[in-house]
Amino acid sequence: MADLIIETRELHKRFGKFEAVKSLSLQVPAGSIYGFVGPNGAGKTTTMRMLTTLTRPTSGQAKVAGYSVTEEPRQVRRAIGYMPDEFGVYDDMRAWEYLDFFAACYDIPEANRKKLIDDLLELVDLSHRRDDMVDKLSRGMKQRLSLARTLAHDPQILILDEPASGLDPRARVEIRELLVELAKMGKTIFFSSHILADVAEICTHIGIIEAGQIVAQGSMEEMRAQLNPHREIMVSVRDDDMAQKVKSLVAGMPDVIAVEVLEPKAGRSRIRIDFTGDDEGIAAINQKLLAEGVLLLGFTEETKDLESMFMRVTKGLVT
Amino acid sequence: MAEELVPIQLIDEPEEALSPREQRLNRAARVLQWAAIAYGVLSALLIIIGVVAAVSANAGLFGTLQQILLMRYPGAPDSAVAVLVLLTQLNLSLLLVMMVGVLARELWAIPAMLILAIANGASILILGFTPAVIALVSIVWALVIIAPEIRAFRFNPVMLKELRGRMRGVRAFVVLTVYLGLMSAFMALLYLIALPANQISGSAAAGEIGRVLFAGVVGIELLLIIFIAPAFTAGAITGERERQTYDLLKTTLLPAPSFVLGKLESALSYVLLLLFAAIPLQSIAFLFGGVGELELVLAFIILLVTAITLGTVGIYFSTQASRTLSASVRAYSTTLVVTFAVPLILSIVLTIVTAPLRTLSPAVEAGLIYVDDFLRSMNPITAALFSRQQLVENQVLGFFSHTLASDGSTIPRVSPWITFTIIYLVAATVLVVLSVRRMRKVEA
Repeated sequence: MADLIIETRELHKRFGKFEAVKSLSLQVPAGSIYGFVGPNGAGKTTTMRMLTTLTRPTSGQAKVAGYSVTEEPRQVRRAIGYMPDEFGVYDDMRAWEYLDFFAACYDIPEANRKKLIDDLLELVDLSHRRDDMVDKLSRGMKQRLSLARTLAHDPQILILDEPASGLDPRARVEIRELLVELAKMGKTIFFSSHILADVAEICTHIGIIEAGQIVAQGSMEEMRAQLNPHREIMVSVRDDDMAQKVKSLVAGMPDVIAVEVLEPKAGRSRIRIDFTGDDEGIAAINQKLLAEGVLLLGFTEETKDLESMFMRVTKGLVT
Repeated sequence: MAEELVPIQLIDEPEEALSPREQRLNRAARVLQWAAIAYGVLSALLIIIGVVAAVSANAGLFGTLQQILLMRYPGAPDSAVAVLVLLTQLNLSLLLVMMVGVLARELWAIPAMLILAIANGASILILGFTPAVIALVSIVWALVIIAPEIRAFRFNPVMLKELRGRMRGVRAFVVLTVYLGLMSAFMALLYLIALPANQISGSAAAGEIGRVLFAGVVGIELLLIIFIAPAFTAGAITGERERQTYDLLKTTLLPAPSFVLGKLESALSYVLLLLFAAIPLQSIAFLFGGVGELELVLAFIILLVTAITLGTVGIYFSTQASRTLSASVRAYSTTLVVTFAVPLILSIVLTIVTAPLRTLSPAVEAGLIYVDDFLRSMNPITAALFSRQQLVENQVLGFFSHTLASDGSTIPRVSPWITFTIIYLVAATVLVVLSVRRMRKVEA
C-alpha cells in the first residue's frame, strides 16, 4: 500500500452531548483522489475542520503529511490547501488581488507573486477575468478562483469541502476535470460530497461516513469487491408457477448461492439469482433454463453502481 | 446544524517548534519586551520614591536621583524626577509598540527602532538620561538578532487588502467630499458666530476668531475620531467571521499579530487621510492669527493617539464578540464609560468629598492634584482642553511648577497631553497583545 498522507486513528469530536465524529479512522494514500462521502450532517465538515487544524479533536490522533494536527498545526497548514463549503471570497477585490493577498499570507515574496498569480489563473482558466471584481464572477468561476487560492503555496494536499455543491452541471464538470488535472500534478485531493455521482467518476479512493463513523473505505476496486461479493442475475418469467420452476432448476447449480422469487412487477414474476461464478456459468444457467422449456422474458445481470452500494451500507440514520 | 447550538469553547494553540525565522523574531521581540518591563519597574520605583520623598519632605532624595539618572537636566530636582518618570514611561510604551511591530514583521518597525535608538542616544547626550542605555542596548540587540531576517519585514498584506477595498471607486471620494463639505460649512458657521462678538475691538480680536475656528475644527475632528475609530475596527475580526473568511485566514500562515496590526493600520490610515485632508481648513485659522504651530502639533498628537487607542478598543472587542454589532456596542460603551463616565464621576466626587481636606496638609493637596491630573488625562477632550489652556495661558508645553495653597511650596506638574499619550499608548499595546492572544486560540 502506498504511503498514507492523511491518517486518523480513533478520532472523536464531541460538541456538548452531541457526538459529531466517533472513532473515525481514515486512511488516505498519497497521490489519491479521495472521495469522502456521506449524507448531510454525517460529520464530513467536522472531520475536515479537524484535519485543517480549525477545531481540535476531543480525543484520538490525526496526522496530515506526517504532522500531528494537534501538536504541529503550522506544519499541517503549510502542507494543506483548504476550501470550505462557503466561498470565502472578498467581494471588493479583483481576482488577481484576491490571489495576491493569500499568496502574501503564505509569505510568498512579492517578486514571485505576479508569475504565480498568472500561472494559477491560467490553470483554473480565469486569465481573461484577471482584473474583474470577484463579485462579478459566476458561482463556478468563484469556485475555481477559490481553488486557485488553495494552490497558492503549492501544498501537497487539497482538502475541499463540497467543491461541487451549488454549481450548475457545466461548472461541476469543469471542477471535476480540474481536480483530475491537479491529481496528475501530484497533489493528493481529499474532498467531500453528498452526491455519489461526483465521486464515482474521478475518485481513486472512497470513504463512506455516516453518523460520525466510517462505514466503508478503500480503493474503488476494493470497495466494489467488498460491497459486491457476488453477481446478481435477474430473471423474469410470465407467472409464479414458472418462477417456482426456475427456482428449483437453478438452486442446485454450481456457484449459485441463493435464489429468491421476488414480488411480481408489471405482471411479470421475477427471480434474483446470487452467483459467484464467471461468464461461462451465467451462460450455462441460461442454456439450462431454455433447455428445460422455461419461457424467458428477461435474463440480465444487474450492474450495481455506487448509488446502490451507498444505499446498502448507509442505514439512513441521518438524512 | 447541531454543532452551532453548543457555545464554542476556545483553548490555546499548542506551543510548537518554531521555524528559525520565527525563533529569531520571537527572541528579538522578547528582548524589547524585557526592556519595556525594565522601564515599567523603573518608573514604578521612581513614583514610589517620589511619593515617599514628598511625604517625608526629603528633598535630598530628588537631588540624588537627578544626579544619577538625569544629571544634565537644568531644572529643579523635583521636576527632574517628573521628567524621569515620563521618559521611562515613554520608552515603556514605545518599546512595546516596537515589540508588536517586530512580531508582525511590519516594515515600519525597523526605521522606528532606529529613530527610537537615536532619540534615546540624544537624551543621554542632552539630558544625561542614563536609563536610556537599556533602550539603546535592547534595540541594538534586537536589530542584530533580526538582521539576517530583514527580508521577512514587509508591507502588511492585510492592510494592503483592506485599503484596496476601502479606497476603490467613488465611495471613498464621496465620503471625503461630504466630510470636507460639512467641515467647511461648520467653519463658516463658526466664523459667522464669532465675527459679531469680536467686531468692536478691531484687529486685536482677529486672533480670537482664529482661536475659535481652530478649536472648532479640532473639536469636531476629535468627536469624529471618537465615533468612527471604534466603528472602523469593530468589524475587523467579526466581519471576517460573518463573511466566512476567518477560517480561511486561520488555515494560512498569516501570523495573528500581522492580522491585528493590518486591520488597525488600515483603519488608522483612513483616519489619517481625513485628518490631513482637513489641514487646509485648520490653517484658515492662521490667516486670523492667534494660533501657534505648537498648538497645531499638539492637536495632531492628541487626535492621532485617540485614533490609535480607540481603534485598538474596537479590534479588541471584535476578537471577543461573534457579531460586528455587539462588538461595536461593547467598544462604544467601554469607551464612554472609561473616558467619560468614570473620570467625570470621580472628579465630581473628589471635588465634593475632598473640598475640606484640600488645605489640610501639603502631601494630601499634592496627591489630590495628581489624581485630578490623572483623571483629566483619561479623556482626550479634557486632556486637549487643559493642555491648550496651559499652552495658551501659561506658555507651558511640558512641565510647570504648581504652588500649593496649604504651605506655599511648589510641586512639579505636567501638561495632561503627555500623561494622556502615555496612558493611551500603553493601553493600546496591551489591547493589541490581548487581541493577538485571543486570535491565537483554536476551537476546542
